Amino acid sequence: MAASIQRGRLPWWGWIGLVVGAAIMAAPLVWTLLLSLKNNAELVGNSGAALSGPYTLENYVAILGNDRTLRWLLNSVIVSLGTTVGVLVLCSLAGYGFARLDFPFRRTLFTLVLLGLAIPSQAVILPQHQLFATLGLHNSYPGLILPGLITSFGVFFMTTYMRAIPKELDEAAMLDGASRFTIFWKVILPLTVPAQSTLAVFTFLGSWNDYWWPLISATRSDMYTLTVGLASSQMNYAQTSGLGFLMAQAVFASIPIFVVYVIFQKQIVRAMAGTAVR
Amino acid sequence: MAGLELHGVRKAFKGVQVLDGVDLTVAPREFIAFLGPSGSGKSTLLRIIAGLETADDGEVILEGRRIDTLPPGDRGVAMVFQHYALYPHMSVRENMAFGLKNARVPKPEIDGLIEDAARVLEINELLDRKPGQLSGGQRQRVAIGRAIVKKPKLFLLDEPLSNLDAALRLRTRVELAQLRQRVDAGVIMVTHDQAEAMTLADRIVVFNDRRIQQVAPPMEIYSRPANTFVARFVGSPAMTIIPGKLQNGSGHAAVRLGDGALIETAISRDGLPPGERIEIGLRPESVRVTRDGDVATTTAKVVLVERLGERSLVYAQLKDGTEITAEDSGLSTARSGDEIGLKIDGAAAHLFGADGTGYHRQDA
Ligand SMILES: Nc1ncnc2c1ncn2[C@@H]1O[C@H](COP(=O)(O)OP(=O)(O)OP(=O)(O)O)[C@@H](O)[C@H]1O
Ligand SMILES: [Mg+2]
Repeated sequence: MAASIQRGRLPWWGWIGLVVGAAIMAAPLVWTLLLSLKNNAELVGNSGAALSGPYTLENYVAILGNDRTLRWLLNSVIVSLGTTVGVLVLCSLAGYGFARLDFPFRRTLFTLVLLGLAIPSQAVILPQHQLFATLGLHNSYPGLILPGLITSFGVFFMTTYMRAIPKELDEAAMLDGASRFTIFWKVILPLTVPAQSTLAVFTFLGSWNDYWWPLISATRSDMYTLTVGLASSQMNYAQTSGLGFLMAQAVFASIPIFVVYVIFQKQIVRAMAGTAVR
Repeated sequence: MAGLELHGVRKAFKGVQVLDGVDLTVAPREFIAFLGPSGSGKSTLLRIIAGLETADDGEVILEGRRIDTLPPGDRGVAMVFQHYALYPHMSVRENMAFGLKNARVPKPEIDGLIEDAARVLEINELLDRKPGQLSGGQRQRVAIGRAIVKKPKLFLLDEPLSNLDAALRLRTRVELAQLRQRVDAGVIMVTHDQAEAMTLADRIVVFNDRRIQQVAPPMEIYSRPANTFVARFVGSPAMTIIPGKLQNGSGHAAVRLGDGALIETAISRDGLPPGERIEIGLRPESVRVTRDGDVATTTAKVVLVERLGERSLVYAQLKDGTEITAEDSGLSTARSGDEIGLKIDGAAAHLFGADGTGYHRQDA
């Protein structure tokens, strides 16, 4: 244990461990990618054919040619972005409130938020379904977005982060003649950017990958998100014949996530490593 | 017109009284130091003046205008925080501009004010850096700069030097003194450091036990402490205060100590409270260890010798067990356990009544 914690160069067996680990992680992804690049007919009966050429982009052409897939992609983008923006706005405001304002029942409310952490979303899915049915919100963007805005974790996360920002900063800003909104907007909010990006990434990914609620709420295929849409096309008994196409869909669906990771890599690492506010 | 006036300021936190009827009048452009033990309410009073804390009772008036009803930004005061409280995400320039922008000062004017302040504080090079890229001393200057550009009527500094190392603290102290000549405003500085208060302040306000104990120029605080608290608190090492009996007679008061020694003070008998019980206060420099040929006032047993280089401090016990601090030359030969003679300069002694009130010689 002590040896592996030492700083500096990794020993040879450390390298081997890393390479093996990376290979195990990457293998299914590479396999998926290879399958997606094969003609469907070639894969019937022998998926091992993916290991050798010829490779083709025809599956991707088919996806882009299918306007339903594009529609699902659009739905996923709208729902995920909507959820992310909504969560950031609500959690920032709630976090500021819990961290800085003094109002009646603040502690009680915060305790309720913490209790919310312990309630799995599955536990409330039936009443939630009924509520949305009553409100006529199924098969709509608000219907898909609203449940995602409820996040105990986000509120808790932003509250703790804002609490850690020294109060002296608020006070300095007050003496600088800043209104409460200016303090929130120009002083506190900019300092929470690392937390915001972490929360944004997690929320976006969670929303993008969510399957259950859109499956329940979106019953019309034009309101499917990508996850539900892709799953529905697996049900068409074409799995044996359409393996390459299916894999191309999976790759296609993960591109936005990949992009998000690449863009926010720095913030994610920084937020994970913990940033001191000073 | 007075600069700052405080009338009957009171403040309690959760039922615990922290300030109880504070009255203070500060002249315009005066440099005031708040001195007092930890928890005596210095910061609280500063924050009440700034508007970061609301007094339970009393008035705060700045240049004739009542300000305790105004929000902090409208009071015409600027504050330098102990931990500087610079906005970490803004450059030095933006930090200094923030208050001015909020006050809707036109951009060219803001630039001018920042340039001026930066020149005075020698932080021109740093204007585009973030606080995280500055040393402690540089942050300190920026914090002062941020206060200066607002051209306040009153600067409030809460232990501004306490985060600096000893050398930097001395340098900054000198700079604060120079700066203070340049700005047309009063300054109130909270400090734990007597030397800082003594060097910088026109007047020192000594706090203890929810109240102001004394307000006076530094040397007066030292030579005419209002009560036993101030006497013990100011000066290092602390003044020795020992009980004694006031002798009958007229003219100057004479006091007999517990061990029988008689001390002739230069304090007039007239103003003293009735009764013979009194306390006498002696600074170490007025209690000398005798050398050959000196006439000893009394004798004592050495407990500890603290060698400070150019002088030594001798902590000793009189025959009746009373502790006393004396001074000796740097070459003192005294060792703990030794019997030594003490020569007490009665003319430099202070007297304290039963309620703690101090009495001093007329001309001191
Ligand atoms: N917000 C608060 N809530 C409760 N008690 C407080 C609060 N602020 C200060 N106090 C109490 O008020 C008293 C005075 O505090 P204050 O900070 O004014 O002391 P100080 O003289 O500045 O001390 P120091 O020299 O340690 O800075 C202390 O007993 C402190 O615990
Ligand atoms: Mg304090």
